[in-house]
Amino acid sequence: MEEGKAYSPCGELSVWGAGCLPVLRPFEKLSQVVSLRICAEPPLFWVPQRRPLIITAWVFERVVLFLAGVFAHLEMLEARACEAATKKEETERQEEKLARLKARVEELRLQRDELQAKVDLQQKRQLGKEGVASAPAQPSAQAVLEWKIRSVEAMLQVFYLTGISGKLTKLGVCFCISTAYEGTYLDSYYLDLLTKPEVQIHRHSVPVFIPLGQIAKKYLQTDIRRFLSVLSDHLNAYAGRRYQADQLQEHFSDQIEGTLQRNSLCNLLVFNYNVLSKRKTFLFNVRLLYGDLCCSLPTEVVISCTPDAPASLAETAAAHSDLFRRVALHKAFRSFSSAEENMDGAP
Amino acid sequence: MDEILAEYIRRTVLKIPRDEIKTVLQTWGFLSEAQLQTVNFHQIKENISQDVVRLCEENSADIKQAAVLDIIYNHIYSDKRVWSVYQMSKTGEETEFFDLTDFKKKFKRRLRSALKNVTINFREYEDNSIWIRIAWGTPYKKPNQYKSSYVVYHSQTPYVFISASVLKSTLPLLCQALVVASNYRDIREMELRSHSLNSLKDIVFKRYSQNFQTYYPRPLQERNVAPESADLRIVQENRHEKERIERVNRKVFGDGPQPKLEFAQYKLETMFKSDPKMGVLDKKEPFRCLVKFSSPHLLESLKSLAPAGMADAPLSPLLTCIPQKARNYFKIREKKGIFPGSFVSP
Repeated sequence: MEEGKAYSPCGELSVWGAGCLPVLRPFEKLSQVVSLRICAEPPLFWVPQRRPLIITAWVFERVVLFLAGVFAHLEMLEARACEAATKKEETERQEEKLARLKARVEELRLQRDELQAKVDLQQKRQLGKEGVASAPAQPSAQAVLEWKIRSVEAMLQVFYLTGISGKLTKLGVCFCISTAYEGTYLDSYYLDLLTKPEVQIHRHSVPVFIPLGQIAKKYLQTDIRRFLSVLSDHLNAYAGRRYQADQLQEHFSDQIEGTLQRNSLCNLLVFNYNVLSKRKTFLFNVRLLYGDLCCSLPTEVVISCTPDAPASLAETAAAHSDLFRRVALHKAFRSFSSAEENMDGAP
Repeated sequence: MDEILAEYIRRTVLKIPRDEIKTVLQTWGFLSEAQLQTVNFHQIKENISQDVVRLCEENSADIKQAAVLDIIYNHIYSDKRVWSVYQMSKTGEETEFFDLTDFKKKFKRRLRSALKNVTINFREYEDNSIWIRIAWGTPYKKPNQYKSSYVVYHSQTPYVFISASVLKSTLPLLCQALVVASNYRDIREMELRSHSLNSLKDIVFKRYSQNFQTYYPRPLQERNVAPESADLRIVQENRHEKERIERVNRKVFGDGPQPKLEFAQYKLETMFKSDPKMGVLDKKEPFRCLVKFSSPHLLESLKSLAPAGMADAPLSPLLTCIPQKARNYFKIREKKGIFPGSFVSP
């Protein structure tokens, strides 16, 4: 510990040589020595009996001042020691981490060298082999072509991510319409078209309740692009509606009372769900009508509740109805439950 | 609970395999778990059925519950019945909001207006199918629960799967009610029948494997590839032919499993063609005959014919068009292309 003048209330009082007994310089030669044990209610400070704090004091006031100085000094020392300890710990930790990372670097270097050696060996072998037949420094035209075909094929595979992809067949073209809803890929549907003598649907896997015939009648002969985009809209909207209903059943079945009633196209959903209001649960009956078959949000929402429900619930119903119209079904429910949690949290 | 009803429940329970009785009753949900605990399901079926009837009497079961139990049984063991597909048609093309409650109401009203003594029950399943059970009576007789009709309908589709009652006269009534309830105009039988309800659904809903050509990578189905002969001395002389058969077969049947049908029937009404000099059957009368293919799994067996070397590939389109045309009963006349279906108009 460093030696220093930590506290000096007046000229005569000072503390030197921390760690050993403090010496009160001006009163060195005085005979009166007071041994003190400092106690208070509650105990603030305690000097061990074995090393009693010996204070020579002439005036009691000065003793008090001196003690205050000692306390402050000790407090400071404690704080410093604490600080030093945390610092030391920190550096130790960092050193440890550094050592670990260094070891990892070393390990990776070794791995790299090994792999490099393997690659070198393989290249050498290949060169040796090819050297027997011929010595092509450049890849052959065949290889380049094959590589190009592979990359084009990979590109075409990626095309399904766009939603509509096609492949020429002997008699026409086969389209694949992949559906997705909010970033989740759902089912794919296929459409095999003949192009001669006129465009017609040969085979398909489009669900029977999608009005394919109607769409085909409208656009198939005149505008195939439009035909595909309208059909894709129908399929995507259907997949989206079904996905929402599935999600609702999967994650919020505890809030739903009874069964969720839906039809094949999922353009009419009817269900009951519980709403908590003033520590009582009420049942809301919902009818979601999806008037636009190319849309996965309802066009008409009817919420009704039991006649004995308080008037404040009407507001809730209106808010819910608005939410159903704007947000995906399962997301609307997620927001209800989080709102309820918030309400529970509040006193 | 009257005696007839008790007997009906008892017989329904007796139809269920013993190991399955408990699960079926649990699905039914009419008897409480505590009640089911009291039944010893390891005793002979006769005793189980009597215990179940006793419990049903405690709960005072009515015909509605008994009918639901029957529907559950028929849903699980749908392969025990023969299902026939009917197609409905309408003039307008507008898509409707199919409302189940509305459908049920209309269906019941239509049937009841024609016949007072009918039991009608509905049950919905997760795959969006509606099961309808109708037990028929006469104006003077109570419905016969043992000769019920079963209908499976998927909303907003023109297809109905019917396992008709042995009472043939009830079919037109049933068809009428279906057409009215689902807002269609007409209904006809599609000449497609099987024990496997799910396969029929796969066929008409186009869910069977059709082998579409795309760039979209689909997971490959595991195929049973014959192990290559390791013996170098054996030369596969017809390797190219084998590959061709494989290719053609894949193109026709696709990769996946085939829908399950048990029969394909062809009624031939064609002229016998021979050298006129031979004078064999030189009549203008058609040569009538009936060809019936039957197998536990007809389409799979047809699929394996060519690779097994029993038939030339590709097979006749008459055999391979079954799922595509969605029918397994054909009538072949001299001028081909006309397949009249029997219409049952309301």
